[in-house]
Amino acid sequence: MAKNAEIVSIQKVHKDYPLDKVVVKALQGVDLTVHQGDFLSIVGPSGSGKTTLLNLIGCVDVATSGTVLIDGHDTKTLSDRQLTDLRLETLGFIFQSFNLVPVLSVFQNVEFPLLLQRRLTRDERAKRVDALLAKVGLDKHSKHRPSELSGGQRQRVAIARALVTRPKIVLADEPTANLDSVTGETIIDLMKEMNRSLKTTFIFSTHDAKVMGHANSVVRLADGRIDGRKAKAGKH
Amino acid sequence: MSWVLLLLQTSLRNVLSSFLNVVIGLILLVGTAIFVVGGSLVDSMDKAMSRSIIGSIAGHAQVYQASSKDSPSLFEGWQIPDLDPMPDFSRVKGPLMAHPNVAAVVPQGINTAIVVYGNTIDQVLEKLRKSVSPGTRQPKERVESLKSHVRQMVSVIQSDMAKLDKVAAKGAVDPGSYADLRRASSQGFWSNFDLDPLGHLEFLENKIAYLVPDSDQIFLSYVGTDLDTFCASFDRTQVVDGQAVPKGQRGMLLSKYVYEDQFKLKAARRLDLLHEGITTKGKTIAKDPGLKDLVKQNKLQTREIVLQLDPLSTRKAVAILQQTLPSKEGDLAKLLSSFFDTDDLNLAARHKVFYEKLAPLLELYRVRPGDFLTIKAYTKSGFVSAVNVKVYGTFQFKGLEKSSVAGAASLMDLFTFRDLYGYVTPEKVAETRALQRAAGAKFVSREKAEDELFGGSSSVEETTQRTIDAGALLGGGKVQRADLVSRVYNREEIEKGVALGAAIVLKDPSQLKATMKELQDICDKEKLGLKVIDWQKAAGNLGQFVFVAKFILYFATFIIFVVALVIINNAVVMATLQRVREIGTLRAIGARRLFVLAMVLTETIVLGLVFGTVGALLGGALTVWLGQTGIPAANDWAYFFFSGPRLFPGLSLGSLVGAYFVVFLVTCASALYPALMAARVPPVRAMASED
Repeated sequence: MAKNAEIVSIQKVHKDYPLDKVVVKALQGVDLTVHQGDFLSIVGPSGSGKTTLLNLIGCVDVATSGTVLIDGHDTKTLSDRQLTDLRLETLGFIFQSFNLVPVLSVFQNVEFPLLLQRRLTRDERAKRVDALLAKVGLDKHSKHRPSELSGGQRQRVAIARALVTRPKIVLADEPTANLDSVTGETIIDLMKEMNRSLKTTFIFSTHDAKVMGHANSVVRLADGRIDGRKAKAGKH
Repeated sequence: MSWVLLLLQTSLRNVLSSFLNVVIGLILLVGTAIFVVGGSLVDSMDKAMSRSIIGSIAGHAQVYQASSKDSPSLFEGWQIPDLDPMPDFSRVKGPLMAHPNVAAVVPQGINTAIVVYGNTIDQVLEKLRKSVSPGTRQPKERVESLKSHVRQMVSVIQSDMAKLDKVAAKGAVDPGSYADLRRASSQGFWSNFDLDPLGHLEFLENKIAYLVPDSDQIFLSYVGTDLDTFCASFDRTQVVDGQAVPKGQRGMLLSKYVYEDQFKLKAARRLDLLHEGITTKGKTIAKDPGLKDLVKQNKLQTREIVLQLDPLSTRKAVAILQQTLPSKEGDLAKLLSSFFDTDDLNLAARHKVFYEKLAPLLELYRVRPGDFLTIKAYTKSGFVSAVNVKVYGTFQFKGLEKSSVAGAASLMDLFTFRDLYGYVTPEKVAETRALQRAAGAKFVSREKAEDELFGGSSSVEETTQRTIDAGALLGGGKVQRADLVSRVYNREEIEKGVALGAAIVLKDPSQLKATMKELQDICDKEKLGLKVIDWQKAAGNLGQFVFVAKFILYFATFIIFVVALVIINNAVVMATLQRVREIGTLRAIGARRLFVLAMVLTETIVLGLVFGTVGALLGGALTVWLGQTGIPAANDWAYFFFSGPRLFPGLSLGSLVGAYFVVFLVTCASALYPALMAARVPPVRAMASED
């Protein structure tokens, strides 16, 4: 089976964090390639560099050295504004703590990235948001505030927000960490479903064995280095 | 536009999302309300005060000689500014009146004078002298009544002296006075009175009258003006007692306030103040120390009334008081003391009895319309000048009846003013010439004075000592005085002469600034040597009050808003720090820095405008309420500033707009730093874990 196009290409990436007088080496020469449509899980113990790696792929941080190519863009060469636009157009984020805007309704939270894009009309936006909310099973909660929802429901809103701009990549940092196992399972199922139906690349970090079981490719990190990569046959 | 709506929507929802925002909002609310109410109050007071100043004596503008040391200050009481005179008012009036916006030019000059009175016994002796003098002889009963009045006065003085003798140090009272009093009270003195009335009167005037220490002098501030033009131009002027000074004649209108305050029987005036304090100011004698003091003075100071009443009137007064109190006391002084021992319950009734029953027996005012006043004033060169002037009545400015500031000055014709201020009027020239002729004075030039007086060829007669025929002069003077009183001056005579300044009344006051500039140009072009100033400057320190009030208001608001700025800045910084993850998330999902900056700014401005609007509404409502109920004037000054007993403030649009402007500025300034801080939040902060 032919491989899909490379959407993320990381080569010899180092990331250092100065901490007082010591330098913490979060990533030490990481090489990673992700193809479009992957459902990739990054696993490893705490402090292994999972979140740092996701930050670099998500263009919210830059590498100390090495190359990070996102959809063909070398993030090191981009300005803050270009990185922002890249995030808006190419990436979607799902956070461990959901990170919804508390004063906005479910609908408005999901609509927010579309408003930043300033591309669709009001009706088009409404149509797309409603469709996505229906897909994540929250069509009846569109007027609720995040505080009126359960943890699982909030994460569904976050998933809808991450997908609403139809990004090529969705990054999820420990998306089930704050959820009970049953809810976590359904959230992963939902992500998987989206991956299947929309062909969106999902890269998520986790240290939950059950969750990583759903991934078609698992990258193991230890001490800032790739400790191995395992692809599940037939999943791709 | 949708993202602008999103900004506004997010901001509006954030307004009440945190307790900090509520605190910020309340500060802005209070600040705005104070700004609106305070601004409206100051604006209303400005308008009221301008009405008071312009409508009383200032006019919209004033002109005065530019070479003067001082500038006019119309309400400074005894501080008379040093102004050079305009030599000929008629030269000034024409060019100024030619301006299309000038309605009137009223010549003016302010000065102060002293009016000196003889005491009560002097006044009765004067009446007695008239009643026995050949030309003005009166019926025997009248003479007898006056004689018994004087005898009663002598006995009052005698009993006062006896009391004084007990408490005063030895030698404090001249022993001769006792002897004089004994003589004046003796049967023999009064039996022989008719044989030599003038001799006896002279004894009483020289030896007895001075023992009554109630002679008084009144300080009078007056405006010398063309009375006809003044009354027509300042249409708030109302004649209260008597009549207006006949057109073109000499005369005076006393200020009603001064008339009541200075010329009225003191006990009556105090009774008025007590009545007014209770009925219109809501005070009580029981609680107000000022009113208590008035009662105390009235109880102690009955002498003025006792001396004024002749035996017949005394008997009537005693009967009235015995019935009113009721009492069996026969001594008038004691009865009066009890009568004036007023409290909150009996004051209204006592006030009524006083005016209905006692007042007809008394001379309530020292001067009545039609009387002549001898006014002494300092001339510009420092000499004392005295003029007899007829008082035609009293006047007040409508709406400012109770104001001691507006009512401080009386009105006088321009000729009498010029006499008193030491300017040479045609009559003065004639009078001086008559005196020179009578004294045989000869003109000697200054250069040759020494030679002429002491040189060998002195032309000054040394030997002939001529006496001035005082009778002829005084007689002539009488004729002249009568002439002066009835003489009608024409407009040219009134206007052709000295004035110290002039008030300019405009047709359209809104054009004041432009008109003033044009008038100044006219003065300069015509080489009149005049300076034009507006009413506010002409009012002296008083005119600056509004500036001071405005300064205090704006300073207070400034302090409030500076404090608000600091608090809001801190609060927004704290709020921003609390929202770092939220802001990081927005940045992570694609919001640019500018969006975050605009979001924080909009949120704070919306917060300011929301609470500012509530504050403005509250302030507006308070102002409207005050506008209906009015703010009472606590004292004479407030009365003048409020242009009446109450200030009814109107909501000023300027204050509303100003309030919004200030709130906008303050919120922008206070949110700018936190907004920049928020814009610098890196998107990676979104990834931070919950803790």
